[in-house]
Amino acid sequence: MSEPLLEVSNLTLDYNLGGRKMRALDRINFTLEKGEVLGVAGESGCGKSTLGLAILRLLPRVAEIRRGAVFFKGTDLLKLSEEQMELEIRGQEITMIFQNPQNALNPVFKIETQMTDILRVQDRNQNPGSRKRHQHYRKQAIERLKLTGIADPEARVSNYPFEFSGGMKQRVMIGMALSSGTSLLLADEATTALDVTIEAQINKLIIDLAAEYGISVLYVTHNLGVLAEMADKIMIMYAGRIFEMGEKEMLFGSPRHPYSAALLESLPSRQKKGRRLLSIPGFVPPLDRLPKGCSFHPRCVFAEDICRKQVPPLTEVASGHWSACLLDQKRGRQKWQWT
Amino acid sequence: MAVDLIQIQNLKTYFFQGKGVLSKWFGQGLKVVHAVDDVSLTIKKGSTFGLVGESGCGKSTLGLSVFRLVEPTEGKILFHGNDVVKMNSAELRTFRQNAQLIFQDQFGCLNPRMTVGQIIAEPLMLRDGKQARQEDIADEVAELLSAVNLDPDAAVKFPNEFSGGQARRIGVSRAIALKPEFIMADEPTSGLDISTAATVLNLMQDLQDQMDITYLWVSHNLNQVKYMADDMAVMYLGKVVEMGQTKEVFHQRAHPYTRALISAVPQVDTDQQKETIFLEGEIPSPINPPSGCYFRTRCPHVFERCKQEEPPLTDLGGDHFCACHLHSHH
Ligand SMILES: Nc1ncnc2c1ncn2[C@@H]1O[C@H](COP(=O)(O)OP(=O)(O)OP(=O)(O)O)[C@@H](O)[C@H]1O
Ligand SMILES: Nc1ncnc2c1ncn2[C@@H]1O[C@H](COP(=O)(O)OP(=O)(O)OP(=O)(O)O)[C@@H](O)[C@H]1O
Ligand code: SF4
Ligand code: SF4
Ligand SMILES: [Mg+2]
Ligand SMILES: [Mg+2]
Repeated sequence: MSEPLLEVSNLTLDYNLGGRKMRALDRINFTLEKGEVLGVAGESGCGKSTLGLAILRLLPRVAEIRRGAVFFKGTDLLKLSEEQMELEIRGQEITMIFQNPQNALNPVFKIETQMTDILRVQDRNQNPGSRKRHQHYRKQAIERLKLTGIADPEARVSNYPFEFSGGMKQRVMIGMALSSGTSLLLADEATTALDVTIEAQINKLIIDLAAEYGISVLYVTHNLGVLAEMADKIMIMYAGRIFEMGEKEMLFGSPRHPYSAALLESLPSRQKKGRRLLSIPGFVPPLDRLPKGCSFHPRCVFAEDICRKQVPPLTEVASGHWSACLLDQKRGRQKWQWT
Repeated sequence: MAVDLIQIQNLKTYFFQGKGVLSKWFGQGLKVVHAVDDVSLTIKKGSTFGLVGESGCGKSTLGLSVFRLVEPTEGKILFHGNDVVKMNSAELRTFRQNAQLIFQDQFGCLNPRMTVGQIIAEPLMLRDGKQARQEDIADEVAELLSAVNLDPDAAVKFPNEFSGGQARRIGVSRAIALKPEFIMADEPTSGLDISTAATVLNLMQDLQDQMDITYLWVSHNLNQVKYMADDMAVMYLGKVVEMGQTKEVFHQRAHPYTRALISAVPQVDTDQQKETIFLEGEIPSPINPPSGCYFRTRCPHVFERCKQEEPPLTDLGGDHFCACHLHSHH
């Protein structure tokens, strides 16, 4: 088997706030193949955004990577210099699209300027000494906009960001990712602020590009429905840890972890009108005061004594399907029925 | 037969822009935003009426107009048969005790300098005026907090000490303080986690069962509206394009926009093969809506007549209405 595009190994990260140490990522292990879409879900504060930022090393000062590695095309990104990250990785090999494209596009420059800048850098990285004219890059930029489905790209390329709607700006961001020949796209709640019909357009664009250009995607969202349609593999996180990971069909069809099963049962789409929804008792614990043993045990109706003592390791429970629950063996193939 | 609690008749709420300096300098005419454009609908007592549609289609404006928090331009809003638009300030005050709002942004409307107890007591104090007695009100506040599953100790805390879901429940407890007959909930679970949202939905259903509250439920989450609402309306650019029993609307999807909207909702259940209809382009501006059918610039079924004539909202039978020429030819 060929080497995966991305291999995150044992990644562990703390936010140090005064005397408090919040472990936002705890022994994160996963791989992402070329062209694969990995969906990441979990309740607010579980570390989804931190994961993306850690891969790109865009972390705030208070964050400290304690151990682990992020192998991208075989190179550990954590060992690269800041300059290498900036010149070769960020916005080039790996592009991140955020929830709010407003902040990612510079409001004072035309779309054209922002896209041609990237294309020029990209070209000169690949062909040192290249001296092509602006027109050449402008044509390329228009090409990219066309690929992302912007109507009338010849005229639109000279617009400013404020002249674009939210959905169009998100297309520009994706167009920029394409301009730079990206092989990994990190999308963090990239469509959350958009309307369902526009969201569907953008998500389709992302899957199509992944399929056509072999781009891999790490897709972070709260919306399990979106993942069901977008992702090949799903990762469910809770309080800094991976609780379950596997092929989409397996994970949604027969979840192996009580937490994943609970999330699926909380969805209104799964329930008949008037029937009560499952609401998991209690709250996500603060990261500096995680319960001992399985951090989910105070909220888990299946918890037993052992859950308060041992930390469940992420275990391969079926081929390609990973789960971190101490009672998995005992439970066997029986479902976790919350209600 | 259920009683009609609210009847909205031909409601129009327009915003007028461009009265400022710019329009004087550049001689631009007044721009009119047709936020709510000739909407009629009826909400039955004790039921939930869902209002869906994309951002900017006028859902919040419709709700705010019912409370006259924005002034309607034209039309009637009958509450128990009395027109809210014609109410004087005393009548309006009584009406606003009977009808409450839960806002889209819950933290934004909880005063950060007041304790949760003070926030919930505020409407009670206003109700009792000079007769208000501290002990009685404190008891009522404790009762209200436990009704939304919050600890009575919450009363002495400040809003920033609560999570999003708890803040939302504080908003709910304030809204039910005066035992209203009617609550408009504007995106009551936006920004909440799946499991927290489930808590809020369960709570609001329990309250409806216990107190016979009527809800106007505004959301662009169609899964949620399908789960909560008895009846629903789909809005596009300020107009209702389809309306009826929720079951029927989801089943028939008579309007091409409804069809696209429902098909675009991502579903977890992968077993049912579903085909997403991708709409071209973006929502037009409500300042310059297209001629004829407002949806024609994105409609996959557009034909000649759609450009010229605006399709009327037609009864398809069984109180199911749709505004589309595919259904209006005789
Ligand atoms: N700059 C920071 N300083 C201190 N703590 C932080 C910082 N950024 C995040 N955290 C903490 O790290 C944890 C993980 O945060 P992160 O933003 O990765 O969560 P998330 O899963 O993306 O949540 P959401 O779904 O709300 O976006 C949270 O508990 C958060 O409070
Ligand atoms: N105070 C105002 N002045 C001018 N225009 C307004 C005002 N309030 C709303 N609008 C406009 O009226 C239209 C309807 O807005 P409204 O907030 O009712 O939409 P909505 O359906 O609630 O959208 P969302 O789903 O984003 O909450 C929009 O075009 C909006 O820009
Ligand atoms: S380890 Fe125990 S507490 Fe944790 S999820 Fe499994 S059963 Fe629940
Ligand atoms: S009237 Fe015409 S454009 Fe409008 S929804 Fe019907 S078919 Fe489409
Ligand atoms: Mg995040
Ligand atoms: Mg609104």
